[in-house]
Amino acid sequence: MISLVAGLIGALAGVGGGLFVIPALTLAFGVDIHLAIGASIVGVIATSSGSAAAYVRDRMTDLHIGMFLELATTAGAISGALLTSLIAPAFLFVLLGLVLLGSAALQLVRLTDQPAGPVTPSPLARRLRLFGSYPDRNQGRTVAYAARRIPLGFGLMGCAGLVSGLLGIGSGALKVVAMDTAMGLPIKVSSATSNFMIGVTAAASAGIYLSRGDVDPRIAAPVALGVLGGAVLGARILPHLSNRAVRRIFVPVLVLVGLQTLARGFGLV
Amino acid sequence: MTAERFRAWVSRILIAGVAISAGLIATGFIGALLVGWTGSLVGAAQGTSDPTDFSSVVSGLGALRPIAIAQAGLLALIATPVARVGISLVAFVLERDRLYAVITAAVLGLLLLSLLVVR
Repeated sequence: MISLVAGLIGALAGVGGGLFVIPALTLAFGVDIHLAIGASIVGVIATSSGSAAAYVRDRMTDLHIGMFLELATTAGAISGALLTSLIAPAFLFVLLGLVLLGSAALQLVRLTDQPAGPVTPSPLARRLRLFGSYPDRNQGRTVAYAARRIPLGFGLMGCAGLVSGLLGIGSGALKVVAMDTAMGLPIKVSSATSNFMIGVTAAASAGIYLSRGDVDPRIAAPVALGVLGGAVLGARILPHLSNRAVRRIFVPVLVLVGLQTLARGFGLV
Repeated sequence: MTAERFRAWVSRILIAGVAISAGLIATGFIGALLVGWTGSLVGAAQGTSDPTDFSSVVSGLGALRPIAIAQAGLLALIATPVARVGISLVAFVLERDRLYAVITAAVLGLLLLSLLVVR
């Protein structure tokens, strides 16, 4: 029974976003938070691998920037996954609630594509080869970019990995912020590269959850199937909705679920 | 190998990994609906092992247990990004991109470490 429900939750997550898997499983169906985290991470890997395949062919993903930053995210994810079993579930609920509310806030702040001027890589960016260009179909030309504030971006990525390992989520929003806002990369490159990195980051924590017995196939298997099915469905529905419509549905749900998760963390429900 | 062919390979690995794991997980799930998670599609005795214990996956596959088929699919799903990093390492070595060969080897090392960490 719980397997079928988990499949439906996964499908909704595939359409809307993986952040809802853990609150849905724990708050609505009383699943242990560690089993919910183990199921969620599997869904995260499914989404990332499925959509990353398309992006790589689109030549938006920067493999140098992605691989360099994966050093930070995998190290963070391993630390997070090792820590999560030592942390009281109440604190995990509070942290998840804050992430949900933070993601709602990020949806409201429009990330704009900065006008691409002449880009000169800094000495560090040149040494690490964190620069490149991508063909922009909308602008009809090749856009050049170079990473700025590399230590800050690397540090933020370590935090994104830590949160991902603690909660079993992709923390894609945090990764995009680190690349777009901190490192000054174009939004298209940031989101494609972030999506590419999420799977690798999640695999790092998944191994630890698995050896600890937090991946229960009776929940994780239907969630993974649901997420894949939902992602296919979402890819068909979402292009027909305007960004504003998506925000209007998504933000109130994020806030509501975020508040409920916080309330659970503080022992109010 | 050119960068272009390398990207195509990464893409193929991801698609194949997702397809294989989705197929296994779906088979396990449908099997579970038919004979239960701890049952067996060939009618072997009921499994007694803990469903979160992945060490029984090989013996369970022999008995066509839905739980073991789903476990194998989940393992394939987790292995896909790891294989992706492995392919990237080979590609960077072939391109004589020494810096990124080292960085990728370090990422792969971290991933393998996480898979080998005992509880």
